[in-house]
Amino acid sequence: MNHPREDLTALLDGALAPARRAVVERHLAACDACRAELGALRAGIAALAAVPPAPGPSPFFGARLEARLAGAAQPGLLARLAGWRWRLAAPAAALAASVAIAVGVVRQHRRDVEAMAAHLDLLEDYEVVASVGDVSTAEDAQIVASLDQLAPREGRP
Amino acid sequence: MAQDPDAELMAAFQRGDASAFRAIYERHARAMVAFCHRFVRDAARAEELAQDVFVKLHGSAGRWQPSARLKTYLYRIASNHCLNELRRGEYGARATERGGSPARDADALPDGGATPEDAAVGAALERAVRSLLDDLPEKQRAALVLCRFEGLSYEEIAEVLGTSVSAVKSLVHRATVAAAAALAPFAIPAKEALP
Repeated sequence: MNHPREDLTALLDGALAPARRAVVERHLAACDACRAELGALRAGIAALAAVPPAPGPSPFFGARLEARLAGAAQPGLLARLAGWRWRLAAPAAALAASVAIAVGVVRQHRRDVEAMAAHLDLLEDYEVVASVGDVSTAEDAQIVASLDQLAPREGRP
Repeated sequence: MAQDPDAELMAAFQRGDASAFRAIYERHARAMVAFCHRFVRDAARAEELAQDVFVKLHGSAGRWQPSARLKTYLYRIASNHCLNELRRGEYGARATERGGSPARDADALPDGGATPEDAAVGAALERAVRSLLDDLPEKQRAALVLCRFEGLSYEEIAEVLGTSVSAVKSLVHRATVAAAAALAPFAIPAKEALP
Protein backbone atom coordinates (compact mmCIF):
# COMPACT_ATOMS: atom_id res chain seq x y z
CA MET A 1 0.00 0.00 0.00
CA ASN A 2 1.34 3.43 -0.93
CA HIS A 3 0.83 5.88 1.91
CA PRO A 4 0.19 9.44 0.71
CA ARG A 5 2.16 10.95 3.59
CA GLU A 6 3.26 14.10 1.79
CA ASP A 7 -0.38 14.80 1.00
CA LEU A 8 -1.54 14.72 4.62
CA THR A 9 -0.31 18.19 5.55
CA ALA A 10 -1.65 19.61 2.30
CA LEU A 11 -4.97 17.94 3.08
CA LEU A 12 -5.11 19.72 6.45
CA ASP A 13 -4.13 22.98 4.76
CA GLY A 14 -6.87 22.62 2.14
CA ALA A 15 -4.22 22.67 -0.56
CA LEU A 16 -5.10 19.48 -2.42
CA ALA A 17 -6.93 19.42 -5.71
CA PRO A 18 -10.42 17.88 -5.37
CA ALA A 19 -9.53 14.69 -7.22
CA ARG A 20 -6.40 14.12 -5.15
CA ARG A 21 -8.24 14.93 -1.97
CA ALA A 22 -10.81 12.24 -2.74
CA VAL A 23 -8.05 9.68 -3.25
CA VAL A 24 -6.34 10.58 0.03
CA GLU A 25 -9.61 10.49 1.96
CA ARG A 26 -10.40 7.03 0.61
CA HIS A 27 -6.94 5.91 1.73
CA LEU A 28 -7.40 7.37 5.19
CA ALA A 29 -10.65 5.52 5.63
CA ALA A 30 -8.72 2.28 5.27
CA CYS A 31 -5.32 3.10 6.88
CA ASP A 32 -4.89 3.39 10.66
CA ALA A 33 -1.26 4.49 10.36
CA CYS A 34 -2.08 7.41 8.10
CA ARG A 35 -5.01 8.43 10.29
CA ALA A 36 -2.68 8.46 13.31
CA GLU A 37 -0.14 10.53 11.39
CA LEU A 38 -2.84 12.91 10.29
CA GLY A 39 -3.86 13.35 13.94
CA ALA A 40 -0.28 14.11 14.99
CA LEU A 41 0.10 16.66 12.20
CA ARG A 42 -3.18 18.30 13.15
CA ALA A 43 -2.04 18.54 16.79
CA GLY A 44 1.28 20.06 15.73
CA ILE A 45 -0.48 22.65 13.63
CA ALA A 46 -2.78 23.45 16.54
CA ALA A 47 0.21 23.89 18.87
CA LEU A 48 1.82 26.30 16.40
CA ALA A 49 -1.42 28.23 16.21
CA ALA A 50 -1.34 28.64 20.00
CA VAL A 51 2.03 30.42 19.91
CA PRO A 52 1.54 34.06 20.91
CA PRO A 53 1.89 36.47 18.01
CA ALA A 54 5.27 38.07 17.44
CA PRO A 55 5.54 41.71 18.49
CA GLY A 56 4.52 44.30 15.96
CA PRO A 57 6.18 47.59 15.08
CA SER A 58 6.92 50.17 17.74
CA PRO A 59 5.04 53.49 17.70
CA PHE A 60 8.17 55.05 16.21
CA PHE A 61 8.40 52.71 13.24
CA GLY A 62 6.95 55.17 10.74
CA ALA A 63 8.94 58.14 11.98
CA ARG A 64 12.20 56.19 11.89
CA LEU A 65 11.49 54.85 8.45
CA GLU A 66 10.63 58.31 7.11
CA ALA A 67 13.88 59.64 8.60
CA ARG A 68 15.89 56.88 6.93
CA LEU A 69 14.20 57.50 3.61
CA ALA A 70 14.79 61.24 3.92
CA GLY A 71 18.46 60.62 4.68
CA ALA A 72 18.82 58.27 1.75
CA ALA A 73 17.12 60.81 -0.51
CA GLN A 74 19.69 63.56 0.21
CA PRO A 75 22.75 62.86 -1.97
CA GLY A 76 25.88 65.00 -1.99
CA LEU A 77 26.08 68.36 -3.76
CA LEU A 78 27.70 66.96 -6.91
CA ALA A 79 25.13 64.20 -7.18
CA ARG A 80 22.32 66.71 -6.71
CA LEU A 81 23.76 68.98 -9.38
CA ALA A 82 24.18 66.00 -11.68
CA GLY A 83 20.56 65.13 -11.12
CA TRP A 84 19.54 68.69 -12.05
CA ARG A 85 21.90 69.11 -14.99
CA TRP A 86 19.21 68.97 -17.63
CA ARG A 87 16.92 71.38 -15.85
CA LEU A 88 19.87 73.74 -15.26
CA ALA A 89 21.13 73.59 -18.84
CA ALA A 90 18.96 76.36 -20.32
CA PRO A 91 19.49 78.90 -17.51
CA ALA A 92 23.20 78.10 -17.49
CA ALA A 93 23.46 78.72 -21.24
CA ALA A 94 21.62 82.03 -20.89
CA LEU A 95 23.91 83.04 -18.05
CA ALA A 96 27.00 82.13 -20.07
CA ALA A 97 25.75 84.17 -23.03
CA SER A 98 25.09 87.17 -20.77
CA VAL A 99 28.56 86.94 -19.29
CA ALA A 100 30.13 86.71 -22.76
CA ILE A 101 28.25 89.79 -23.93
CA ALA A 102 29.20 91.70 -20.80
CA VAL A 103 32.87 90.77 -21.19
CA GLY A 104 32.76 91.88 -24.85
CA VAL A 105 31.23 95.22 -23.93
CA VAL A 106 33.79 95.81 -21.19
CA ARG A 107 36.68 94.90 -23.52
CA GLN A 108 35.40 97.20 -26.24
CA HIS A 109 35.04 100.02 -23.73
CA ARG A 110 38.58 99.39 -22.52
CA ARG A 111 39.88 99.51 -26.13
CA ASP A 112 38.12 102.85 -26.65
CA VAL A 113 39.64 104.31 -23.50
CA GLU A 114 43.10 103.09 -24.50
CA ALA A 115 42.71 104.61 -27.96
CA MET A 116 41.64 107.91 -26.46
CA ALA A 117 44.65 107.83 -24.13
CA ALA A 118 47.00 107.12 -27.03
CA HIS A 119 45.72 110.17 -28.90
CA LEU A 120 45.36 112.43 -25.94
CA ASP A 121 47.83 114.89 -27.41
CA LEU A 122 45.78 115.22 -30.57
CA LEU A 123 42.66 115.84 -28.53
CA GLU A 124 44.46 118.51 -26.58
CA ASP A 125 45.65 120.06 -29.83
CA TYR A 126 42.12 120.08 -31.17
CA GLU A 127 40.99 121.73 -27.93
CA VAL A 128 43.74 124.39 -28.26
CA VAL A 129 42.67 125.11 -31.78
CA ALA A 130 39.06 125.29 -30.74
CA SER A 131 39.88 127.63 -27.88
CA VAL A 132 41.67 130.07 -30.20
CA GLY A 133 38.66 130.55 -32.35
CA ASP A 134 37.36 129.61 -35.74
CA VAL A 135 39.86 128.41 -38.33
CA SER A 136 39.71 131.20 -40.74
CA THR A 137 42.67 130.87 -43.03
CA ALA A 138 43.62 128.16 -45.49
CA GLU A 139 46.94 127.73 -43.75
CA ASP A 140 45.29 127.18 -40.39
CA ALA A 141 42.99 124.65 -41.95
CA GLN A 142 45.91 122.71 -43.35
CA ILE A 143 47.69 122.70 -40.03
CA VAL A 144 44.63 121.41 -38.25
CA ALA A 145 44.13 118.71 -40.88
CA SER A 146 47.70 117.56 -40.39
CA LEU A 147 47.73 117.54 -36.57
CA ASP A 148 47.34 113.75 -36.41
CA GLN A 149 50.48 113.32 -38.47
CA LEU A 150 52.64 115.13 -35.99
CA ALA A 151 55.12 112.96 -33.97
CA PRO A 152 54.13 112.48 -30.35
CA ARG A 153 55.86 114.86 -28.11
CA GLU A 154 58.36 113.48 -25.68
CA GLY A 155 56.88 112.44 -22.39
CA ARG A 156 53.48 111.75 -23.93
CA PRO A 157 52.20 108.24 -24.35
CA MET B 1 -5.59 36.46 -10.54
CA ALA B 2 -7.38 38.71 -8.09
CA GLN B 3 -6.54 42.40 -8.20
CA ASP B 4 -3.68 43.19 -5.85
CA PRO B 5 -5.01 45.82 -3.44
CA ASP B 6 -1.52 47.30 -3.25
CA ALA B 7 -1.11 47.70 -6.99
CA GLU B 8 -2.84 51.07 -7.13
CA LEU B 9 -0.81 52.33 -4.18
CA MET B 10 2.42 51.28 -5.85
CA ALA B 11 1.33 52.89 -9.11
CA ALA B 12 0.53 56.11 -7.23
CA PHE B 13 3.92 56.01 -5.54
CA GLN B 14 5.62 55.49 -8.89
CA ARG B 15 3.85 58.66 -10.04
CA GLY B 16 5.42 60.50 -7.10
CA ASP B 17 2.72 60.27 -4.45
CA ALA B 18 4.68 59.91 -1.19
CA SER B 19 1.50 59.33 0.82
CA ALA B 20 0.92 56.14 -1.17
CA PHE B 21 4.19 54.72 0.08
CA ARG B 22 3.19 55.64 3.62
CA ALA B 23 -0.05 53.74 3.14
CA ILE B 24 1.90 50.74 1.91
CA TYR B 25 4.16 50.49 4.91
CA GLU B 26 1.28 51.14 7.27
CA ARG B 27 -0.51 48.17 5.69
CA HIS B 28 2.45 45.82 5.88
CA ALA B 29 4.69 46.98 8.74
CA ARG B 30 3.11 44.70 11.32
CA ALA B 31 3.49 41.60 9.16
CA MET B 32 7.06 42.45 8.22
CA VAL B 33 8.18 43.12 11.79
CA ALA B 34 6.50 39.95 13.03
CA PHE B 35 7.99 37.89 10.22
CA CYS B 36 11.49 39.21 10.89
CA HIS B 37 11.01 38.58 14.60
CA ARG B 38 10.49 34.87 13.91
CA PHE B 39 14.05 34.82 12.58
CA VAL B 40 16.02 37.11 14.87
CA ARG B 41 13.80 37.10 17.98
CA ASP B 42 14.86 40.59 18.95
CA ALA B 43 12.24 43.31 18.76
CA ALA B 44 14.64 46.15 17.93
CA ARG B 45 16.55 44.16 15.33
CA ALA B 46 13.34 42.82 13.81
CA GLU B 47 12.14 46.39 13.39
CA GLU B 48 15.40 47.41 11.74
CA LEU B 49 15.20 44.48 9.34
CA ALA B 50 11.59 45.31 8.52
CA GLN B 51 12.61 48.89 7.84
CA ASP B 52 15.36 47.61 5.56
CA VAL B 53 12.64 45.81 3.60
CA PHE B 54 10.72 49.06 3.04
CA VAL B 55 13.87 51.01 2.24
CA LYS B 56 14.67 48.41 -0.41
CA LEU B 57 11.13 48.60 -1.73
CA HIS B 58 11.39 52.40 -1.83
CA GLY B 59 14.63 52.19 -3.77
CA SER B 60 13.39 49.62 -6.24
CA ALA B 61 9.84 50.91 -6.67
CA GLY B 62 10.63 52.16 -10.16
CA ARG B 63 11.35 48.61 -11.26
CA TRP B 64 8.30 47.06 -9.62
CA GLN B 65 5.84 45.51 -12.05
CA PRO B 66 2.12 45.15 -11.32
CA SER B 67 2.39 41.48 -12.34
CA ALA B 68 4.10 40.82 -8.99
CA ARG B 69 1.95 40.77 -5.88
CA LEU B 70 3.34 43.29 -3.45
CA LYS B 71 2.70 41.11 -0.42
CA THR B 72 4.76 38.23 -1.76
CA TYR B 73 7.34 40.69 -3.10
CA LEU B 74 7.79 42.11 0.41
CA TYR B 75 8.00 38.66 1.99
CA ARG B 76 10.56 37.69 -0.62
CA ILE B 77 12.76 40.67 0.26
CA ALA B 78 12.26 39.99 3.97
CA SER B 79 12.93 36.28 3.66
CA ASN B 80 16.19 36.77 1.80
CA HIS B 81 17.20 39.55 4.15
CA CYS B 82 16.50 37.52 7.29
CA LEU B 83 18.23 34.40 5.98
CA ASN B 84 21.27 36.50 5.08
CA GLU B 85 21.18 37.96 8.56
CA LEU B 86 21.16 34.48 10.08
CA ARG B 87 24.02 33.37 7.83
CA ARG B 88 26.14 36.16 9.22
CA GLY B 89 26.01 34.24 12.48
CA GLU B 90 24.91 37.03 14.75
CA TYR B 91 22.01 34.98 15.99
CA GLY B 92 23.81 31.75 16.77
CA ALA B 93 23.31 32.04 20.50
CA ARG B 94 20.90 29.14 20.52
CA ALA B 95 21.96 27.95 23.94
CA THR B 96 21.12 31.31 25.43
CA GLU B 97 17.78 31.40 23.73
CA ARG B 98 16.96 27.86 24.67
CA GLY B 99 18.02 28.56 28.20
CA GLY B 100 14.95 30.64 28.49
CA SER B 101 16.11 34.22 28.36
CA PRO B 102 13.09 36.18 27.28
CA ALA B 103 13.50 37.51 23.76
CA ARG B 104 10.12 39.16 23.66
CA ASP B 105 9.03 42.53 24.83
CA ALA B 106 6.88 42.87 27.87
CA ASP B 107 3.98 43.88 25.67
CA ALA B 108 4.19 40.57 23.88
CA LEU B 109 3.65 38.48 26.97
CA PRO B 110 0.29 36.82 27.45
CA ASP B 111 -2.37 39.33 28.29
CA GLY B 112 -3.45 40.17 31.78
CA GLY B 113 -6.23 37.59 31.70
CA ALA B 114 -3.79 34.67 31.47
CA THR B 115 -3.12 32.67 34.60
CA PRO B 116 0.49 32.16 35.73
CA GLU B 117 0.20 28.56 34.57
CA ASP B 118 -0.98 29.66 31.13
CA ALA B 119 1.86 32.14 30.96
CA ALA B 120 4.37 29.47 31.90
CA VAL B 121 3.00 27.07 29.29
CA GLY B 122 3.03 29.85 26.70
CA ALA B 123 6.65 30.69 27.48
CA ALA B 124 7.65 27.03 27.29
CA LEU B 125 5.83 26.67 23.98
CA GLU B 126 7.65 29.68 22.63
CA ARG B 127 10.99 28.25 23.65
CA ALA B 128 10.12 24.97 22.00
CA VAL B 129 9.14 26.76 18.80
CA ARG B 130 12.37 28.78 18.80
CA SER B 131 14.33 25.58 19.18
CA LEU B 132 12.32 23.97 16.40
CA LEU B 133 12.90 26.88 14.03
CA ASP B 134 16.61 26.93 14.82
CA ASP B 135 16.90 23.25 13.94
CA LEU B 136 15.03 23.43 10.65
CA PRO B 137 16.86 23.85 7.35
CA GLU B 138 16.56 27.40 5.99
CA LYS B 139 13.86 26.82 3.42
CA GLN B 140 11.75 24.63 5.70
CA ARG B 141 11.99 27.30 8.36
CA ALA B 142 10.92 30.03 5.97
CA ALA B 143 8.12 27.88 4.56
CA LEU B 144 6.84 26.99 8.03
CA VAL B 145 6.83 30.59 9.23
CA LEU B 146 5.14 31.81 6.06
CA CYS B 147 2.51 29.07 6.23
CA ARG B 148 1.79 28.74 9.95
CA PHE B 149 2.43 32.25 11.26
CA GLU B 150 1.87 34.48 8.25
CA GLY B 151 -0.98 32.50 6.72
CA LEU B 152 0.31 32.47 3.15
CA SER B 153 -1.01 29.92 0.69
CA TYR B 154 1.28 27.36 -0.92
CA GLU B 155 1.15 29.37 -4.14
CA GLU B 156 2.19 32.55 -2.35
CA ILE B 157 5.00 30.75 -0.52
CA ALA B 158 6.23 29.41 -3.86
CA GLU B 159 6.39 33.00 -5.15
CA VAL B 160 8.24 34.16 -2.06
CA LEU B 161 10.80 31.37 -2.10
CA GLY B 162 11.10 31.29 -5.87
CA THR B 163 10.23 27.63 -6.12
CA SER B 164 7.39 25.37 -7.28
CA VAL B 165 4.15 24.70 -5.43
CA SER B 166 5.00 21.01 -5.22
CA ALA B 167 8.33 21.89 -3.62
CA VAL B 168 6.51 24.08 -1.12
CA LYS B 169 4.11 21.25 -0.35
CA SER B 170 7.08 19.06 0.53
CA LEU B 171 8.84 21.79 2.54
CA VAL B 172 5.74 22.57 4.57
CA HIS B 173 5.00 18.90 5.17
CA ARG B 174 8.49 18.08 6.42
CA ALA B 175 8.55 21.16 8.64
CA THR B 176 5.11 20.30 10.02
CA VAL B 177 6.20 16.74 10.77
CA ALA B 178 9.15 18.18 12.70
CA ALA B 179 6.83 20.61 14.49
CA ALA B 180 4.43 17.83 15.44
CA ALA B 181 7.29 15.88 17.00
CA ALA B 182 8.86 18.85 18.78
CA LEU B 183 5.60 20.24 20.10
CA ALA B 184 3.97 16.96 21.10
CA PRO B 185 4.10 17.92 24.81
CA PHE B 186 1.96 20.93 23.97
CA ALA B 187 -0.41 19.01 21.75
CA ILE B 188 -3.98 20.14 21.85
CA PRO B 189 -6.46 17.27 21.59
CA ALA B 190 -7.27 16.96 17.94
CA LYS B 191 -10.65 16.39 16.40
CA GLU B 192 -11.07 13.34 14.29
CA ALA B 193 -13.02 15.02 11.54
CA LEU B 194 -11.21 15.95 8.37
CA PRO B 195 -10.84 19.65 7.57
